[in-house]
Amino acid sequence: MDVLAPLLDGFAVALTAQNLLWALVGVTLGTAVGVLPGVGPAVTIALLLPITTKVDASGALIMFAGVYYGAMYGGSTTSILLNTPGESATIVTALEGNQMARRGRAGPALATSAIGSFVAGTIATIGLTFLSPLVVELGLKFGPPEYFALMIVAFTTVSSVLGDSTLRGIASLVLGLAIGLVGIDNQTGQARFAFGVPQLLDGIEVVTVAVGLFAVGETIYLASKMHQVQEKLEAISGSIWMKAEDWKRSWKPWIRGTLIGFPFGSIPAGGAEIPTFLSYAIERKLAKNPEEFGHGAIEGVAGPEAANNASSTGTMVPLLTLGLPTSATAAIMLSAFQQYGLQPGPLLFEANAALVWGLIASFYVGNVILLVLNLPLVGLWVKLLAIPKPQLYAGILVFATMGVYGMRQSPFDVFLLYGVGLVGFLMRRFGFPTAPAIVGMILGPLAEEQMRRALAISQGDPRIFVTHPISAGLLAVAVAVIAAPWLWRRFGPGR
Amino acid sequence: MVKPLPKGQLAVSLGVLVLGALVLAGAWDLSTGGGYAQVGPGVVPRIVGGALLFLGALLLREALTGGFRGHDEEAESRVPMDWRAFAWITGGIILYGFLVERAGFILASAMLFVAVSRGFASRRWLSNALVGLVLASCIFRVFNYALGLTLPAGLLQAILP
Repeated sequence: MDVLAPLLDGFAVALTAQNLLWALVGVTLGTAVGVLPGVGPAVTIALLLPITTKVDASGALIMFAGVYYGAMYGGSTTSILLNTPGESATIVTALEGNQMARRGRAGPALATSAIGSFVAGTIATIGLTFLSPLVVELGLKFGPPEYFALMIVAFTTVSSVLGDSTLRGIASLVLGLAIGLVGIDNQTGQARFAFGVPQLLDGIEVVTVAVGLFAVGETIYLASKMHQVQEKLEAISGSIWMKAEDWKRSWKPWIRGTLIGFPFGSIPAGGAEIPTFLSYAIERKLAKNPEEFGHGAIEGVAGPEAANNASSTGTMVPLLTLGLPTSATAAIMLSAFQQYGLQPGPLLFEANAALVWGLIASFYVGNVILLVLNLPLVGLWVKLLAIPKPQLYAGILVFATMGVYGMRQSPFDVFLLYGVGLVGFLMRRFGFPTAPAIVGMILGPLAEEQMRRALAISQGDPRIFVTHPISAGLLAVAVAVIAAPWLWRRFGPGR
Repeated sequence: MVKPLPKGQLAVSLGVLVLGALVLAGAWDLSTGGGYAQVGPGVVPRIVGGALLFLGALLLREALTGGFRGHDEEAESRVPMDWRAFAWITGGIILYGFLVERAGFILASAMLFVAVSRGFASRRWLSNALVGLVLASCIFRVFNYALGLTLPAGLLQAILP
């Protein structure tokens, strides 16, 4: 498949004034929510889903994608200056970045993470450009059993990689699956778990669950447990530009981070957490003076930030080519596609080539906008961190309830939000990761559809999943993902 | 050394078990087979319900034998729950649900803003109420005039343009 011709067509879509504006709005919003604690890209995109009724598909999706990777840039700012990583993927950035900031080197730390994100984002987008057509060709050969098995793999990786415990990860996933069951069964038209409530016939909205689990649950948790929080915002003193030596020390970690991050994102291996940790460990090992690590080594910011960004771009590969979301944000992007009646996957590349390639081209554009937005304007973003906590979270909840109520103009959804928020609070309190629930809720109904289709083909014989070699192999991978940590604990060395 | 049983974890495990039972009960009437599709709408709910029961049992075992793995219960319980903050925020959301169509979006949102701020220990009632009102009015204008969504005006119907 020729790549350059469709990519050029994609640029024609992405570079229209209107879509440039959407990209700008998206990355600006994304950077803002990335900087702000308490809201992430998943909640933001969920709250923006209603605009899909007003805006054309390419504009809305370009904006959503901008929010997604804009938040990755913004998150590092918070980690470096505040030492409170907004999300798990920027924990490592906080390690060295905050140390650098305390030593008056906040500027170079922010610069290396912004430029590193740009380098990584751009290389990863090139990777996405060339890898996607290959995966699409593979995907075209897949039938329902293969898709079902792929989704099972995504389920297992998402729930075992995120969080501290595979058991709680899977429990969260299955909770999401249960939520996804509510509503009319799309194959038989039968109502399931609606309890005679008309609002439940359409199913529980993604917005309600995402906002409830992430924003409301988190807010309740922080408010009722906040006594101990001590935060110190580091000032940006001196030049924000990197010196020649900083460049020399940064460029290799950027490249290495990208090479680690992109593959992790593109195979459905769940999350940007592992590649950032890996990158940090490698940089530490390769550093000329490893004793600097822990005291503000620039390599420890450059590498993980690149890995983080490359892997978030990488998650677009399974999402666009196979319709397989491997993070909460990707899952909500998937439901944005569904709002337009589109199903990401190999067929989308044929049926809506302009849309898909326009989206991919917008990644190149968005990365450039982000570099411009972040380097010179970083002082502006830091001002957002000055919003006092009570008013910040109050504002977040006002937007959250507005989004949930405004969607169907139904107070019922507000009460549902309250319930989901309580569940989110409990999950946070007892260490259940919330992302698997979102993925389960959105991917669950699709997996069920593929399973039932596969069984229709085999006339009800479940052996179809193991007699098809690809599906059997994928299911074996899924079993291994669940069983490996357990086996390792049980029989591994050091036991 | 005997650690006290983590009551919260036991309750959460039981909650998962109960949820599993409810899902199974709800799946009872749904058919599992038949039709062209071969697999009825009841199959996956049964799998999900069964899985929840199984996971609830595993969680219960962890809770009974030393607590959830990889979860620092001690650090969690060292910080006491601030139930008052909890009540301000959850109460704010519930009240919002009742008020949004009666008092209108702007007043309900301002109320929520004040309640959540109070949950985070801010006692600047007047300035919080003002900020909440301004924020809600901005959202209201943008949504009702620019995006064409209709958020309820409620009591302010008469004075809103």
